[in-house]
Amino acid sequence: MIGHAKLLDELARLVKRSKADATSVCAESSVYRVSRFAYEAIHQDLVQESFTAYVKVIAHKRVGVAVTDTFDRPALSRCLEAAMEIARHAPPRKDLPPLPDGYEEITTRDYAASTAKVTPHRFLTTLKRLFQYCQGLGAQLAGSFVVGEDELAVVNSSGVACYTASTVCGAKLVTMYRALSGFAGGASRRIEQLDLEALLERSLKQSLHRREPVTLPLGAYEVILEPEAVAELVTWLGYIAFGAKAVQERTSCLAGRMGEGLMARRVTIVDDGNDPAGLRMPFDHEGVPKQRVALIERGKAAGIVYDTAYGQLYGQPSTGHALPPDEVEGPLPAHLIMEPGTMRREELIRSCRRGILIPRFHYVNGLLNPREALMTGLTREGAFLIEDGKLKAPITTMRFTQSLLEAFSHVLGVSKERQLVADPAQDPGCAVMPTVRLARFRFTGRSED
Amino acid sequence: MTPAHLPKDLVLAAVRDLKRRGVDDGNVRFERLLHESLVVERSQVQSISLSESAGIGIRVLIHGSWGFASTPHLTPASVRRAASQAIAIAKASASINRRTVRLAPVEPATAVFRSRYQIDPFEVPLSKKLDYLLWATNSLLGPKPIKRATGHMDFFKRTKFFASAGGAQIEQHLVESGAGLEAVAQQGNEVQSRSYPNSHHGALAQAGFEYVKQLDLVGGAKTSQSEVLHLLRAEPPKAGLTTLILAPTQVVMQLHESCGHPVELDRVLGQELSYAGGSFLTTGRLGTFRYGSDHVTIVADATAPGGAGSFGYDDEGVPAQRVELIRRGLFVGYLSSRESIARLDHGRSGGAMRAEGWDVPPLVRMTNVNLEPGEATLEELLHDVKHGYLLATNKSWSIDDRRLNFQFTTEIGWEIEHGKVGTIVKNPLYTGITPQFWGRCTGVSNRESWQLWGVPNCAKGEPMQLMHVGHGAPYARFDGVAIAPAK
Repeated sequence: MIGHAKLLDELARLVKRSKADATSVCAESSVYRVSRFAYEAIHQDLVQESFTAYVKVIAHKRVGVAVTDTFDRPALSRCLEAAMEIARHAPPRKDLPPLPDGYEEITTRDYAASTAKVTPHRFLTTLKRLFQYCQGLGAQLAGSFVVGEDELAVVNSSGVACYTASTVCGAKLVTMYRALSGFAGGASRRIEQLDLEALLERSLKQSLHRREPVTLPLGAYEVILEPEAVAELVTWLGYIAFGAKAVQERTSCLAGRMGEGLMARRVTIVDDGNDPAGLRMPFDHEGVPKQRVALIERGKAAGIVYDTAYGQLYGQPSTGHALPPDEVEGPLPAHLIMEPGTMRREELIRSCRRGILIPRFHYVNGLLNPREALMTGLTREGAFLIEDGKLKAPITTMRFTQSLLEAFSHVLGVSKERQLVADPAQDPGCAVMPTVRLARFRFTGRSED
Repeated sequence: MTPAHLPKDLVLAAVRDLKRRGVDDGNVRFERLLHESLVVERSQVQSISLSESAGIGIRVLIHGSWGFASTPHLTPASVRRAASQAIAIAKASASINRRTVRLAPVEPATAVFRSRYQIDPFEVPLSKKLDYLLWATNSLLGPKPIKRATGHMDFFKRTKFFASAGGAQIEQHLVESGAGLEAVAQQGNEVQSRSYPNSHHGALAQAGFEYVKQLDLVGGAKTSQSEVLHLLRAEPPKAGLTTLILAPTQVVMQLHESCGHPVELDRVLGQELSYAGGSFLTTGRLGTFRYGSDHVTIVADATAPGGAGSFGYDDEGVPAQRVELIRRGLFVGYLSSRESIARLDHGRSGGAMRAEGWDVPPLVRMTNVNLEPGEATLEELLHDVKHGYLLATNKSWSIDDRRLNFQFTTEIGWEIEHGKVGTIVKNPLYTGITPQFWGRCTGVSNRESWQLWGVPNCAKGEPMQLMHVGHGAPYARFDGVAIAPAK
């Protein structure tokens, strides 16, 4: 950890030194420990200490961006010079928005000392216990465990100076027993809220089922998607539909349909970087505070997210969804949240006469036909056939090809319980999702060996 | 942007320190990466950025367990601290591991490897690169339905110095260049895209700026513009079982997902179960499993000139090799590391261990996974096709966690009627089961149409590492494939 005083001071010093008309510096710093294990052995264990500073300068309407991974004054100065050099050679840009101004914040509200101080010994002791428990059952265990500290700071020449520090931890457990496997994942800002034993129990419940997997005919099925599965679909929707760039290019399924009913009235999706149920992030990479944005409101297309550039294009203020300045994807949501329903997860299962329970998907791709939010992907561990409200048997891997708009137009129920879904070793974003029961979901293929 | 100094003394001192501390094995790897990225959109410069990353990673094996730590600070104190962290991690893991790591032997090399290029892309003036990119990208614009025209150039310069406790000292200098265009057109509810010369930044080679010049972006823009406008009024393919000919720009993704990933031996041994999954190419199938037809020979060739997955030595100091994976349809080899190959008692590492950068340990990665060319021309492949489709340029991709059931869509297709390429079809989607699909391969085109493409964003590992890999691909014909419109 660099700390807010030193980090903000160094960035401010750099901004002050800049001879550009406007300068913005964004810095990310992190220390992560990632352990991966399979079959009773840790096969990868590492400490990753990283720092990235993005320097963006605007000189005579010309923009230059340079990036460095080294946190010291000479490297930051070279980075600033490189950005200036690029700006000198860049053509002038039309309609450049001014840098955001007037936001100062220092927050460590999501920094938990307990997480930062977790010792390797503590994790190894727990892991050893999990290994032994699985061995006792004749099951095998694989997975990963991550614990990390993050800092993000933005300083610009228009008065932005903000800093946040946070901690995060997460685990993914895959259990295998004969032909079946199970999965459970969890993440939290606080290590005491990450219950590895409970995750193991959830994963084992899927893999220790007494029935052999059954192969189902292809076609449309009623499905109950658990939070991880819902998160994968909605996160893809975020990527292809909820950003202003996709709307501007009209590849988004929301383009030209704002206010129209695209989904069932039971569906409300927002992006909220300040919801304590998620992994909060108070501001974006331009130093703009994150706004809560309603994206789908009671089934209707309600909004999209902006950064300053796309905000100016649409005559809207930035919603605080800018990516780092060297990214060209445009603004994207990173804290997607679906409003809860009224039923319990168990009730959703009990009320299903014949359907499929899906805990998570594998390799979802939403680029097939983004205008219709057509997606494909596969079931993975823990998918079960439901008959007469009971889990009948595990199923073999099946592929779906389905328009998400069509699937979410026929919602039979949404659970009141929601789960934080995040993979902190891969991505700083998150989703908070309920279990969702859908009337029809189209399966178009199956895996065969 | 960075001082050109290669901190050999610091690396060698760190290796001496590791040996003093009694590691079973270990290495210290310095890396510096410069990446210049240019993106233009709608006649405007969207982004020009130059990124610099440099640091040292230390990997140690103690009591049969691995530890890894890294530092961006190139000072003796920081490097010693990273070494201590790596050692502590390895010792902690060893306290619970019931299986100890064994390593296949490697001869310690002293070598310098420099990739070949004619024009250093970092020496080409920025204004010249931008002018060319704007010219090419503007060539996509004009007709009203074209809503977006994007052009990109990427240049990489990677410098590495690897030294091991076993005595290796290897210096490598790798230069890569890439460029491409994409047009997005819209009319009513129809949105179509067309990329040139390949999608997903696939025009990437271990080469200098001469590679970008050879791509003929301006000429390609005219073709892409015409094709994307045609796609707006095209019909989709008819659903059913048919004959497909895949162009090299789609064979790339077919190879990547259905062959490259399942032959990664660490994945086969379960080390990717918590993220990307496993593989159907289990160790018991090596040498006996029929993966494809006699037309199918696939190699992993880290020595391929110009390949985005080429190098002199991997990140364990193992020399680059050409490894047979599939020989005339038979599964015969894996992508491997010193550890994974030793688990099979199968000789020496295939030299496929690479790390994305200095701050992560290496994993088994694809090099250049190439479908070897056959003898037919494209015309000969087409000749006896009564009805089928020619598909080009990957759009979407998905495959199951054992790499069996795949589904791809491509940007464009053409109907084939009685051996002739006919009208354009939109939104083609095809699907299959890996060994059944490759088993129905009835022909592969010759060296003349074989192309080496790059994949700059092959994702694997936790934390995720994005690797540059290559794929050499000819046209390939498959019978009895399920095709459908993506809807």
